[in-house]
Amino acid sequence: MDIDPSDLIVGLMMTVFGLVGLILASGAMDNEMYVFGLSLFGFACVFDFGLLRRHFDRMEARRHG
Amino acid sequence: MADAAIMPRPAPDYNEAVVRKFVIATVFWAVVAFLVGVWLATELAWPQANLGLSFINFGRLRPVHTSAAIFAFGGSALFATSFYVVQRTCRARLFGGEALADFVFWGYQFFILMAALSYVMGFSQSQEYAEPQWHLDLWLTVVWVAYAVIFIGTLMKREEPHIYVANWFYLAFILTIAVLHIGNNLALPISMFSAQAYQVTSGVQNAMIQWWYGHNAVGFFLTAGFLGMMYYFIPKAANRPVYSYRLSVVHFWSLIFMYIWAGPHHLHWTALPDWTQTLGMAFSVMLWMPSWGGMINGLMTLSGAWDKLRTDPSLRFSVTAVGFYGMSTFEGPVMSVRDVNALSHYTDWTIGHVHSGALGWVAFISFGAVYYLVPVLWKRPGLYSMRLVSWHYWIATLGIVFYITSMWVAGIMQGLMWRAYDQFGFLQYSFAESVIALHPYYVIRMFGGLLFLIGALLMVYNLIQTVRGKTSTSEQTIVMPAAVAVAGE
Repeated sequence: MDIDPSDLIVGLMMTVFGLVGLILASGAMDNEMYVFGLSLFGFACVFDFGLLRRHFDRMEARRHG
Repeated sequence: MADAAIMPRPAPDYNEAVVRKFVIATVFWAVVAFLVGVWLATELAWPQANLGLSFINFGRLRPVHTSAAIFAFGGSALFATSFYVVQRTCRARLFGGEALADFVFWGYQFFILMAALSYVMGFSQSQEYAEPQWHLDLWLTVVWVAYAVIFIGTLMKREEPHIYVANWFYLAFILTIAVLHIGNNLALPISMFSAQAYQVTSGVQNAMIQWWYGHNAVGFFLTAGFLGMMYYFIPKAANRPVYSYRLSVVHFWSLIFMYIWAGPHHLHWTALPDWTQTLGMAFSVMLWMPSWGGMINGLMTLSGAWDKLRTDPSLRFSVTAVGFYGMSTFEGPVMSVRDVNALSHYTDWTIGHVHSGALGWVAFISFGAVYYLVPVLWKRPGLYSMRLVSWHYWIATLGIVFYITSMWVAGIMQGLMWRAYDQFGFLQYSFAESVIALHPYYVIRMFGGLLFLIGALLMVYNLIQTVRGKTSTSEQTIVMPAAVAVAGE
């Protein structure tokens, strides 16, 4: 698999942020932290799926020359 | 060998996708910021306009307006132009790959959304322009470090031997904002799971650090960054070199050395020691010279190309912006003099001053850059309609005039009413009487803001049509200067 190192590093970083978001939401003591934690998790998921999509789009484009 | 040296080199494959995204964000947040501003101005003129809803009362919406204007609109414009300028003047694609640039874009937009949401929910650390709570501050720090890595990395892998002056201004903006943001937001959360936190400093020390941050947010976010924009886009649009490259370097170093000391002028006549206030005042007055160095350089770049102002209204935006920059950087030092401040502080004069800078300088220089960038980034021969740009220019200028003149009159009247004594030594006016006297000026201010918003909506329509590849049937498209040579070379 020909993975762009930037995609890999940023993708892993976002995965960590997503988990941090879930942890923050799970123990939230106020609405603000609950909303922030869940939003961070959602943002990280969408961002990582965006990276995956772009990776496979690129591979497909290369295959079709 | 000699032939090889003069052979035109192919341009690298620049990352324009992230610049396009930031341009769209700039325009979007401009409309949001102006709309919320007009709504707030309406609430000030007619308080019942808050509809009795807690989440749109003045106290909660005000930081939404300031953050949308400064960080969302101004910040997106700075990200867009810095990424565009650093690539072209260094002849290098952005460092760190597409994913890191996308992280900076989406991460910054996420920060803005979360901050706005927290304000309307009633969460704030009550520090002006630094309202977000600790967890949002940490998130912004991560995004900002990624931004610095991309910008500095691109500078380091440049193929041009020289670092163009615009990049010096952008770099000063990036590094100093990082230091200010971290320094002013040192806080101890009551728990990792709570948004509440206590600032490390308290009392007058906290106030001093806050205004060291606050004034340098003006100096490095709203001045240095936008001067970087000026140094690239005015020479490009006018197709002229920078008037004096030496002046740009001299005023760069003097500006960044002096700005950092000027914060205490926000705390005149407070518990802050007198000598500190005097220091802030002295440096603020001295700042007049480097500020005007930039203004003179920007305006004189038009030497031999003044006729372009007749035919290119987007350049008119940029040049008028420099005029407003000169005006507000003269007014600022005057207001920093302690005796003037005794009259002006806590009044609407300050609001007028801030908006002459924010609307006249920051917004106008950004509009000029956006009008330049959109046809270049979307590969269009020119803007959809230059006539609409002209309409935008005049409506927005008129809006600023209504706004700042009404606030000057209101502010001076407020100051004079608050200090007026009768023959028995009692205050002549109650506070409520000064509020009643301000009502007509608040209505004029709201009208001025509305004009500015209408101008921005015209810009949105014009840019959408440009991107869609339309050409106005009633006028001939003026082709923008080709983006070939590095500005100033």
